[in-house]
Amino acid sequence: MDRRKSFRRQSRRYRRPWLKKCKEFIRTFIAFMFSNVGIIGLVVGYTIAGSFIFQFLERGKLIEVHVNAIGNRTLFARKLWNLTMDLNVNVKLREKEYRALMDRELIEFQKIFVNLTRKGFDGSDDIKGEKSWSFAGAFLFSLTVITTIGYGNIWPRTPNGKIVSIVYAIIGMPLFLLYLSNIGDVMARSFKWIYANLCLCRWCPGVAKRRAERRIRRDQQMNEYDSENSSSSTSSAVVKLEINAMGPRASVVSEDLTAYSDESYDVQNVTVPVTVCLMIMVGYICGGAILFCQWEYDSGWTFLDASYFCFISLSTIGFGDFVPGDKIYGQGKIEEILELKFVFCSMYLMLGMALIAMCFNLMQEEVIHKIRSTIRTVKYIFRCR
Amino acid sequence: MSSRYRSDPESLSYEKPSACSNFLHYSWKTARCIFSHVALISMVVSYCYLGAVTFEALEVNHEKEVKKTIRHIRDNTTLFLWNFTQEMDALKEDKFVPVAEKYLKEFENSLLKSMAKDGWDGEEDPNKVQWTMAGALFYSIVVITTIGYGHITPKTNWGKVVTILYAILGIPLMLLCLSNIGDIMATSFRFLYWRVCCYVCQKRPKKRLQRGKSFRASTRNEFKFTRSSSAGPLRRSLRVSGKSTDSGYGVSVSVGPSYHSDTELRYPDEFQKTSSRSASVPTRPNRFSEMSSTSSAKKQPTQQNHFPKQNSITSRKKFSETIPLDPMLISDTPILCNRYVIGKQDVLANTIPGITLRKTEFRNNVPQGRRAVSMPRSSNFLQPPRSYTPDSSTDKEDLDEPSRQHRRRIKPRRSRSPIHNPSPKMMTPLGYGQPNKYLDDPDSDEIDEYSSFYESTGRGKPKPVPIWLCVLLVISYILAGAYLFKSWEGWDYLDSAYFCFITLTTIGFGDLVPAKGVSQDRYYATISIALCSLYLLFGISLLAMSFNLVQEEVISNVKSVAKTLGIIKADSDDDSENE
Repeated sequence: MDRRKSFRRQSRRYRRPWLKKCKEFIRTFIAFMFSNVGIIGLVVGYTIAGSFIFQFLERGKLIEVHVNAIGNRTLFARKLWNLTMDLNVNVKLREKEYRALMDRELIEFQKIFVNLTRKGFDGSDDIKGEKSWSFAGAFLFSLTVITTIGYGNIWPRTPNGKIVSIVYAIIGMPLFLLYLSNIGDVMARSFKWIYANLCLCRWCPGVAKRRAERRIRRDQQMNEYDSENSSSSTSSAVVKLEINAMGPRASVVSEDLTAYSDESYDVQNVTVPVTVCLMIMVGYICGGAILFCQWEYDSGWTFLDASYFCFISLSTIGFGDFVPGDKIYGQGKIEEILELKFVFCSMYLMLGMALIAMCFNLMQEEVIHKIRSTIRTVKYIFRCR
Repeated sequence: MSSRYRSDPESLSYEKPSACSNFLHYSWKTARCIFSHVALISMVVSYCYLGAVTFEALEVNHEKEVKKTIRHIRDNTTLFLWNFTQEMDALKEDKFVPVAEKYLKEFENSLLKSMAKDGWDGEEDPNKVQWTMAGALFYSIVVITTIGYGHITPKTNWGKVVTILYAILGIPLMLLCLSNIGDIMATSFRFLYWRVCCYVCQKRPKKRLQRGKSFRASTRNEFKFTRSSSAGPLRRSLRVSGKSTDSGYGVSVSVGPSYHSDTELRYPDEFQKTSSRSASVPTRPNRFSEMSSTSSAKKQPTQQNHFPKQNSITSRKKFSETIPLDPMLISDTPILCNRYVIGKQDVLANTIPGITLRKTEFRNNVPQGRRAVSMPRSSNFLQPPRSYTPDSSTDKEDLDEPSRQHRRRIKPRRSRSPIHNPSPKMMTPLGYGQPNKYLDDPDSDEIDEYSSFYESTGRGKPKPVPIWLCVLLVISYILAGAYLFKSWEGWDYLDSAYFCFITLTTIGFGDLVPAKGVSQDRYYATISIALCSLYLLFGISLLAMSFNLVQEEVISNVKSVAKTLGIIKADSDDDSENE
């Protein structure tokens, strides 16, 4: 498709400059969309689109289970009435008998109710799903789908909704991964830069010098062993170099590259220690926990609950036993607050996942580096295969 | 060229122990293979088991407590009803029913609360608990695969804390294991596809053979290829550098596949050859070391970026020359045969020049401290150039200065690359992001030709399996799972397919969970849980496998599309979109 389009564009280029301009614009637009800024907008836009779609599909659809639950309740109330009347007519009302009878009925009621909850009844009398499929709810739903968190506090009940959510996930998950990798990359870079400039104390020469000396000493210890590997690889480079001599293009560009990377190299090759990354992650989770803890105070979230929620969300496990703004047991909440909570939760999730991606990035680098050096040391010690 | 190697005393000494070393090498590899895979899988299994035991111990008592409280809730309701009945002077239906409904609603709410907050499952019998061994095992699997159905959740404080810790350790472990399994499956599937399925069509193998032969016959030819390919790396190197740090989050945990990547696998050969060569040449190190040391510091990032390319080049070269190891075997074993294994011969040859060079190098470095700080891991790699230089000088004395300049520039890069390789590949999700060396360059014909050669010989770069086949595989797996769950759980077909999809993508809403339904039979529940966990474990590794198989092709496709659209700059972004 795309390729065909491009051919057409080339053929028409000379005839219609405005078309070319238009194509240019589209091209730059697409390029922008996949850039770092654009990807955020793309993800948010996709989520908003998804929330509208799901709202359209799911909202106002009769939820069978809720209807059943309400009908069930009425039925049992009548049943209780009949029983009471029977008792009242036949015998005089006695507390023990009456309560035993009621208990039996309630057990029955409870069984039916439990089955209904298993089918997805959540206790609200909201027959048409107006409340759970509000815009904010649908937004959070879309977000949990593409992030693969999947709380499961609301889910599509209609067949169409199910099919659409499958398609939605297929497109959305790569998009979100793209977002994560892009943003994580940018964040990792900037964090590395900050870390290198602030924490490593690059400007004080004393520290740097000492560190350098230590490193050199360590390197010299390993020197003997390293030289085997490195030199061998170097010699294999010879062939390539001969070739490269004939193809000067590559070397010219490499020169440019080296010039370019001269400044950036220092910073980007710093490995951030694992502890710092862990601290960032823990800090983010704890910060979120404090916020949610205060926010959901009337829902009875303790600090542990809130941090548990944050962790389960950010690790994309998403049990859904704690969901912000869930309305099972704080009745009578104001809609706006609910919406606000949903929105805040979404933002927290999107930022947090990028942050965690960043931390994983940095940690992996560090861990790999450590493992490599350990392996090298072991090899050096044993001196053999 | 190869004849020159053979005449060298060093290379002779290398060839003598080759049979022995090959054997040792293989045994090492096999041992590693068995050890790593079996150990990894058993580690995951035992981790799950451990988790099951822990969670069961932590949660089961609480659940029993909760079951007792249900009785109190009911008692309360009957008491309310009784009081209400007593208060009414005359019993009237229209008054009684609404109030009874209200009480029932309250009763429902308190039941819901105990369900949501305390994890009550609707059973009052204290012997029927959710946190049985099977249930807890399923819970552990659901946690570490990040599916998170949420049908059972820890309700005690300790349970929550342990879950967090368990997940922190377990998720990377599981991802590692899954990607490992996916890798094995990908290799075997590829093998199956190309060796078994495509063996039927006889045309292709013949063609393949011819091409391979002709290619190997001419070494000159191959050099041409290498040279042409060397022109390309710049753009690619940029992309790789971008990729090195960019990883999705779930993605980044898969350290495993990188070890099996083909680039890594090729090292041994390269090293054997190169070591012999480097050893053979007496050195004139100082002059070159000066130059290289000054230039190398600047060059390092570049070198690092270029690494995959260079690997590919060496590997190509390798094939044309004598091949001490069976490459097919190497590429088929998803295992790190590490390069240090073969580096043994180098020890004698290189130690002495290495040390001398090191000294000169340090002497020459003026801004020593800063550089050492800035490149902590790279400082040891600065010396390689020296050992190589003599060779170039003997070979190419006639070359003018600029060309030497070029050579120097590339030297350090090359030398450094094998050691510094890890980050670009390691950070990748489900094995994606092994830099695809050949396919992604549609504008260079020679490389394309080369890549096709590669595919045809079946060495080094694995042959791609068509995308549609992988997609078909995954879809049929989901449909088969749908049928299975339909018959097992009694869901309708759409629900089952939906469940399979939601599970395999690890979204895990939890609206449909096996063994959560009407039936409460213990045996039945256990079987269904076991079935589901097997299904999802296998399914996720299948997904990993298909990612593994199609990634390169898809990436190259998207890349070409992006190029046609003119978004070359966004290349690296487009790659990751394809996962």
